[in-house]
Amino acid sequence: MVSFASPPKFVVDSIHGDIHLTPEEWGVVNTASFQRLRHIKQLGMGHFTYPNATHTRFAHSLGVFGIMVKVLDAVERCGFSLSAEKRENLRLAALLHDIGHYPYSHVMETIDSVLLTEEFISSGGEKRTLDTKTTRYPGHEEVGRQIVTSQQDLISAIGGAERAKAIADIFTRDEAADPQFSKLIHGSLDMDRLDYLLRDSRAAGVPYGSIDIHYLLNNVRVDPNTGVVGVSKKALPAAEQFLLARYFMHRAVYYHKTTVAMEETCRQLLRRVRDKGKYGVPQNGQKVLDRVATESLGGFTDAFVDGVMRQALVDDDENVKKLAQAFVNRRPPKLLKEVSILPERGELYHPLATFKMNCQHRLGNLCEEKRISPTLFLFWEAKPFDFEVRGPSFGTEEVKKIVAEGEGVFQEEESIKVFVDDSGEPKSIMDIDDSIMQACAGRRFLLARLYVVSEEKNLVDDLRKEVSMWDQSS
Amino acid sequence: MDRQQIGLKLAMDSLGIPVQMGTFEDRLVLQKAVYLAEAAEVALGYHFRWYLRGPYCSLLASDGFSVETSQDEADQWTLDGDSLENLRGIQSLMQKSRPADMELAPWLELLASVHFLVSRKQVAHDDIHEILSTLEKYNKRYDKPQVQRALRRLRKHGLLRVPA
Repeated sequence: MVSFASPPKFVVDSIHGDIHLTPEEWGVVNTASFQRLRHIKQLGMGHFTYPNATHTRFAHSLGVFGIMVKVLDAVERCGFSLSAEKRENLRLAALLHDIGHYPYSHVMETIDSVLLTEEFISSGGEKRTLDTKTTRYPGHEEVGRQIVTSQQDLISAIGGAERAKAIADIFTRDEAADPQFSKLIHGSLDMDRLDYLLRDSRAAGVPYGSIDIHYLLNNVRVDPNTGVVGVSKKALPAAEQFLLARYFMHRAVYYHKTTVAMEETCRQLLRRVRDKGKYGVPQNGQKVLDRVATESLGGFTDAFVDGVMRQALVDDDENVKKLAQAFVNRRPPKLLKEVSILPERGELYHPLATFKMNCQHRLGNLCEEKRISPTLFLFWEAKPFDFEVRGPSFGTEEVKKIVAEGEGVFQEEESIKVFVDDSGEPKSIMDIDDSIMQACAGRRFLLARLYVVSEEKNLVDDLRKEVSMWDQSS
Repeated sequence: MDRQQIGLKLAMDSLGIPVQMGTFEDRLVLQKAVYLAEAAEVALGYHFRWYLRGPYCSLLASDGFSVETSQDEADQWTLDGDSLENLRGIQSLMQKSRPADMELAPWLELLASVHFLVSRKQVAHDDIHEILSTLEKYNKRYDKPQVQRALRRLRKHGLLRVPA
């Protein structure tokens, strides 16, 4: 048990109830670096669709911490003891796992992945040059490592640079950390997801993320030989519901057409002004890392992006101005066509591939015909959604073989482990014959959309007709 | 494919290595080749950490699967001249410098691992004994001449500084 040298501190959380913190943890929460998370919305642009979805990375971080405390208790109840140091490092890693988030969470983080229409559409055989001298924005975990190991307020609160590095190793899943326990934060049955599904669905006001978290936590089991963490067989339905809840939340909330439209507008505008070196948007990945290591970390919040958007309202590029107006005045781009499919993994030819190909080859002509700048067409493709974290194109037997080889290259392919009986080794949920996940695991959810930034109803209707058959081969 | 994935495909094409994810060796070669490309200042946007088999990037693993199953969207792109030149140097390091008795995957694993340990200062001194003992700690079975060769080649190709 954690001992408290001074009166215990706790926060009242709307999802998990009272969350108790040690004075040291309380000190971390009260650093300026951690308080920054109060100013970053958890759901990016989700509040444009669900007005109440304004909850923050700050609340989510505390929630993940709260779940970590419960899981560690459950692990100890199973007779698997952890040293006090490891236990406390895991608690701090949970608390700090999102410390590196960019403004509007994943929106700004992913501006290098934007498909700018003028680059996306076919060039008619002419080669474009891809300049790799501009380093991409690093992921938020990498940024988090930089913050934890360079911001003095955090280093002091954590208790020194060496410990700060050890904690960053856990949330970035470095080998220096205990790989099994660091997967508790990011993995399949991980605390991050357990919290955000509940918190996001509650805030949005939708039922899709409701999961039986208490039953899952009460049925945590640990393999005493390997330290592998999973759940008992009787919690299989709760584990299945958890995985399906992820899918439903992605379809209904995270990929909502209006939310995506606003996010893509923001992302494309940021990318364009970043490429032109405007409005203080960090010009490359190194500049991001440099910025978060200084005092200007405090200003790297949603308000930073809001400020960029307002400055862009008077940009000298008319199309950038239109994007800024769409964002600031909440005039989401209009959806022209959406294609969603659930193909077998590895399947290359399907309506979404046809749609994408048609966008590449026909959008250029459509722009000319209708006299619309390519900048105002936004093509967006969701990251392929896997029901379980397991690489595509691999069967159960191959995964087993790879695991037996003891290699790390495939280490992301972790799935929820289920202890079928109390004495045996855990099995992957996908290897359980009566689990619905076996049926789902062979498929991926793919989604692509084409939007246009326009308020002209007739034009939008006309464009919708033009692209209506673009998911079909001619 | 997004720009990062296009960059990945173009870089691997320049190195003469198809993006395949079918076997463990395929995935290992992808990881280590891209690590070395990044070390040669071809900024593809991947950040590496140390795992059981040396430098590893989870985003790269995910992109590898996407690129493998994507159609040829990279056809209308080419890399900038500096990157292509740097990749030519890496190709020579990977292929021409490879010992005759060593397959590509273990050679790349050795090069990438030695580079990571030295450049990230995971070893206090970039001398052969400390590198060798650190590699042994991670269960890597390389002998002294192999590690010496890797260190020499990395220095020759400008990926590691030559000691004063």
